[in-house]
Amino acid sequence: MTPATGIPLKEPTISAAASDAEQLERARIDASTRVPVLMFYASAMVWLLLGTLLAGFVSFTTHSPDWFSNVSFLTWGRLRPVVVNVIIYGWASMAAMGTATWLMARLCRTTLRHPLLIVAGTWFWNIGVLIGVVAILMGYSTGYQWLEFPPYAALVLLVAYALIMSWAVLMFRFRRGEQIFITQWYLLGAFLWFPWLYAAAQAMLFVVPVQGVMQAAVGWWYGNNLLFLWFGAIGLGTAYYMIPKVIGRPVYSYHLATIGFWTYVLFSSWTGMQRGVDGPFPAWMVTASIAATILTIIPVATVGLNHHMTMQGYFPVMRYSPTLRFTVFGAMAYTVFSLVGILVSLRSSARYLHFTQATVAYTQMGVYAFFTMIMFGSMYYIVPRLVGREWRYATLIKLHFWASAYGIGLMSLLLFAGGIVQGSNQQDPSLPFIESAASVLPYLRGGTLAVLLLIVSHFIFAFHFGLMLFGLGRTSTVPTFLNPVEAEGSEAHL
Amino acid sequence: MRGLAPLFLGLFGTFAFSWLGLTVIPNIQIGALNPQMDEEGTDIYPMPKSGMAERGRRVYAANGCAYCHSQQLRPGYISADLDRVRDAGPSPRPKWGDRRSAPRDYLFDRPLQIGQERMGPDLAGMGKAAPSEEEKPAAPPESAPSGSTAGTQPPQPPNAVAQKPPAGGASPAATNAPAQISPTPASNPSSPNPRGMPPAYSAAWHYRHLYSPRSMTPDNVDSTMPAYKFLYEKRPISGERSADALELNGADAPPPGWEVVPTYDAKCLVAYLMSLDQSHPLKEVKSFGGAAPAPAGSPAAATAPSGSPPPAPAKK
Repeated sequence: MTPATGIPLKEPTISAAASDAEQLERARIDASTRVPVLMFYASAMVWLLLGTLLAGFVSFTTHSPDWFSNVSFLTWGRLRPVVVNVIIYGWASMAAMGTATWLMARLCRTTLRHPLLIVAGTWFWNIGVLIGVVAILMGYSTGYQWLEFPPYAALVLLVAYALIMSWAVLMFRFRRGEQIFITQWYLLGAFLWFPWLYAAAQAMLFVVPVQGVMQAAVGWWYGNNLLFLWFGAIGLGTAYYMIPKVIGRPVYSYHLATIGFWTYVLFSSWTGMQRGVDGPFPAWMVTASIAATILTIIPVATVGLNHHMTMQGYFPVMRYSPTLRFTVFGAMAYTVFSLVGILVSLRSSARYLHFTQATVAYTQMGVYAFFTMIMFGSMYYIVPRLVGREWRYATLIKLHFWASAYGIGLMSLLLFAGGIVQGSNQQDPSLPFIESAASVLPYLRGGTLAVLLLIVSHFIFAFHFGLMLFGLGRTSTVPTFLNPVEAEGSEAHL
Repeated sequence: MRGLAPLFLGLFGTFAFSWLGLTVIPNIQIGALNPQMDEEGTDIYPMPKSGMAERGRRVYAANGCAYCHSQQLRPGYISADLDRVRDAGPSPRPKWGDRRSAPRDYLFDRPLQIGQERMGPDLAGMGKAAPSEEEKPAAPPESAPSGSTAGTQPPQPPNAVAQKPPAGGASPAATNAPAQISPTPASNPSSPNPRGMPPAYSAAWHYRHLYSPRSMTPDNVDSTMPAYKFLYEKRPISGERSADALELNGADAPPPGWEVVPTYDAKCLVAYLMSLDQSHPLKEVKSFGGAAPAPAGSPAAATAPSGSPPPAPAKK
């Protein structure tokens, strides 16, 4: 029912009795996913803290390059890959699998079978990441970006993945109900694509290694598909669930969702080679990827329009719901990220942006502004349902949101602007090369500030999450709103 | 929703399409190239690298060098890569390269370190930038002015590989007198290097640069490259000073009686850097700047406008 403030917080339109049965069923499903999903989240949080702390250190060493040059594993060149891999495999993948597992159980309306096997898989995954990180620190990095983990660590990850996702797919087998919700498409896709992607990349680089520049082609194909079809797919799928759920309204158009899904898969899977623009590759590969990147405007437009129309009239709810605020931020960032991707790819602008910090900014927007923010949103929704408590401090959530939003916003802007300056200087052969590196340094210093904001934000979130984990959340039937709402709002699924 | 079969076929098919299109088919096209050779089969390019250089590539990969250094040159019609000269070196400075990179250049590269960032300069032609051997007689060492001051080397004796044996022991602390940093790095680059810099891009230069990037006056004082001191060993001199000990001065200089020597990894890394060379002409790529003369030798090479608007874009 609509509170006096005129905020359209909707009550579910089902009768009280049906609602009770449904509540009970949901509680049972949530209980079955409780241990594995919390395990995923807790591991992801630890990796996130480690990753951002190291990112801060790395950011400092970028402009203080003499630090710790005596200690091999504290040099920029080793820590930078560690940060990237910790964020990708430690934080992002584990958060993604946690959210995906929970969503799958909810959407299939079935309990998670053998949760302990998934927990075992989580442990294996953690061990795999740890092995990989230690190997990089000790100087055993493979030297392929995003695939720095040595093959033996990758093998552990694949085994862990098999343990984890076979059960998620099994849930789908036992699903109830006719409908396959759009989120399930994305999740099923991601579950299928990731092992294929990872195994194919490992095989083509280490088992039956490809020759010469094909290694870079495989690497970029892997990197971009990981970004789009693993993180991106789970991120978009989560947004498709969370936005309608929180505002209590169905997805605006199923047709749009279908078009958006298939064009997304088709086009974004062909991106990647634009990162080698004008490099030593057959021109058709690069051109195909650039064309695919441009065509991603179609899924961006359809998905964006769909979310927008779903949200139409409900934007004020973002004032109250932490989940919605993070998710909508992420969904909007997806649009920006894709547009920046097009800008970075076009040959005419790529000549200025290639080899610069702008491409770093692009990747960070994808991994953080888009994906990570959606994951935060989903965690704000899911964790209270698992621990039976509500988030304790609205202030902390607000701080987390603003620190994250400003942190990543500042970071992207600075790196992108710095990249333009750097690129124009690189394109001017009358300037010494060092000018281009020197000209981007002020922006990188600003970037350090942005990382500090992110560190603050993540520690706040970790503290809050820790409270929840140890049962110190609020015992209340009312979810935690960011701003006070009149009591009637409590029925909404915030 | 429709049945499950179309969904799974679609999920599978779209991804298979991308996998085949971006990795498998290109691999058929360029995944089995052969080195190029002339009719007699003598002039073979590229050739596998030496064992040390191969190991150096692993050091390069393990330490994330590719996060800042690319090893690929773009064609002249899209970028300034081929117009660019290196920041250091005698005038005319060595060019980054005379032609764009081609798939064939990387036949034996594993792991491929092509890079996608340029916080540091491109290294595709790093070895080519080294002072060439033929040049040696051209610049007779004008004799180190003060033999006792370790770290003072003749202005531009090529001395490509080995360090000069020092005249006397470790550098005394006295050498860190405020060295005259040349205020005119670009205008008069062939003047004697201050503070006894080794010739630019020689092995000695790389050793010192990796150890202390910001000591490389006058061209690299602003370098943002991390120092790789852990690739070196600081040890007390036992008896003779080692032949490969670094010539250091200022704050980097080891205390008297000590020396800084490169580890085997550092030697491999430098061997790798010195082996990077894409100057050999390839049939499929147009070269600019003539027959790739000695980088430092021919003014024509560096001053040629190196084809800004080529009539036909060089084929991949």
